[in-house]
Amino acid sequence: MEKFFETIVAPGAVDFMLYIGVILLKVIVVVVIALLHVAFATYFERKVMARMQLRIGPREVGPFGLLQPFADGIKLFFKEDIIPANADKPIFYLAPIIFFASALTSLSVLPFFSGFVVADINIGLLFLLAMSSLGAYGIMMAGWASDSKFAFLGGLRSASQIISYEIAIGLSLVGVIIMAGSLNLSDIVIAQHNYPTGMFAIPQFLGFAVFLVAALAETNRLPFDLPEAESELVAGYFTEYSGFRFAMFFLGEYTGMLIMSSIATLCFLGGWTIPAFITNFLPFLSYVPGIVWFLAKVYFLMFCYYWVRSTFPRYRYDQLMAIGWKVLIPLALANIVLTGLVKSLSKGLQ
Amino acid sequence: MKKEVFLKSISFIDLIKGLAFTLKTFLFTKPVTRRYPNKVKIYAQPGFRGLHALAKDEDGRMKCVGCGLCGAYCPSQCIHIYTTEGEDHKKVVDRYEVDVLRCIFCGFCVEACPFGAITLTEHYEYSAYKKEDFYMTKEKLLDNWDKYMSGEKGRRYFLDFWRPKSEDFTGYKGQAMFSKTKPKEKEQV
Repeated sequence: MEKFFETIVAPGAVDFMLYIGVILLKVIVVVVIALLHVAFATYFERKVMARMQLRIGPREVGPFGLLQPFADGIKLFFKEDIIPANADKPIFYLAPIIFFASALTSLSVLPFFSGFVVADINIGLLFLLAMSSLGAYGIMMAGWASDSKFAFLGGLRSASQIISYEIAIGLSLVGVIIMAGSLNLSDIVIAQHNYPTGMFAIPQFLGFAVFLVAALAETNRLPFDLPEAESELVAGYFTEYSGFRFAMFFLGEYTGMLIMSSIATLCFLGGWTIPAFITNFLPFLSYVPGIVWFLAKVYFLMFCYYWVRSTFPRYRYDQLMAIGWKVLIPLALANIVLTGLVKSLSKGLQ
Repeated sequence: MKKEVFLKSISFIDLIKGLAFTLKTFLFTKPVTRRYPNKVKIYAQPGFRGLHALAKDEDGRMKCVGCGLCGAYCPSQCIHIYTTEGEDHKKVVDRYEVDVLRCIFCGFCVEACPFGAITLTEHYEYSAYKKEDFYMTKEKLLDNWDKYMSGEKGRRYFLDFWRPKSEDFTGYKGQAMFSKTKPKEKEQV
């Protein structure tokens, strides 16, 4: 059988097809699990915020309201798909696809546990940053094509916000890259495991803080959700979207949160590993699979998103820009200089 | 910039206080939600003006004679009465219909009725999906009497709060009232 294929197609065809098959399987597993996580992130958010506001949150659909995300999904799927009469139709159709696709593409380079990554490329971190800026195109196109003042203003705000905060995010990750000496996310995690503190969040506390704040702005979350400020812009750039297109923006946004949390986990909190001094102290913890640690850290960061959302009011737009340019970027630059100095000095000492 | 303000702004003490407060609420404070209608049943206050009902006498016959006073009083004109001449020139009420969606629950029909035939019950949970379900026909209204006004409780409610003219034209001592004219006696109910 194998010989037959090799002779009629090409030598090595079976190996190649197996390789493709394994990748496709991985893609399906990652996408399905990530979308399930996204679905339950909305449930988790509603529960957490409800408890912080002395409410209960969803509880009627299924046990403890666990089927609420599916009910919402079905509802969105069957809603009427309204397109404004003066909308720029091709761009209007394309915008949510770009947004959602760029969010999902980011999942391909994330190593969830040791050795499990769809595309183990050596510029993983750069790829993630590129994808998150590509998502901004979806937002801008949606705002422009909707032919609505709210969507347009939301799109403009989002564009300037994402561009400003991308710099802060990129710069805050430079410290990690210097310390790990690689852009590959798996290598970064392994470098952290070999580092005495076990995670880069401790030596890179400045970069970590800048990253966390900038990630809130990058994903358009409160207190930096100006592109979709309900009290000013109805819903911001997706005001005119309904039905499944709206769902794509919604899913893309929550996937973005998941990815930002994953980047923070991988680059600062040690990914699927736990610090060596903990496993030396409590050896049985090393038998826990890596995915558990990874997910625990990601869930914690997601919880922080909701925690911050239910605590802080929205910033004013000039305050947002001031924080980005006058605080976060100088801090990130200072972090790079410090990290570089320490690294080169310690190398000089050796 | 003052020293304290500067220290506050770089130490994020206010932000941390806010975060601590929400975390404290999340962990330790119980939700205040009352889970109506699954877990918590909220009963109507005494004298609540709920769904309409047509009264029956002891023999189970409809008290209404079809005089049409209720319909004449009704400010929103939601009572429709159709009568015909029956055997030996008796008036027969063919249809007695209340459009509940138009009703404003003023209770004038009950006060107007000389026979104590129409009343409002304490029942208020009657949401439905169709408009027709809110259009009360004679049969439905008579059913409502059996459902919500049967027994001693219904009788007391009817007498105490609706003071039907057929029973007592002037009221009696200890009569419950809606208005604030007798605030002290209200507590006896």
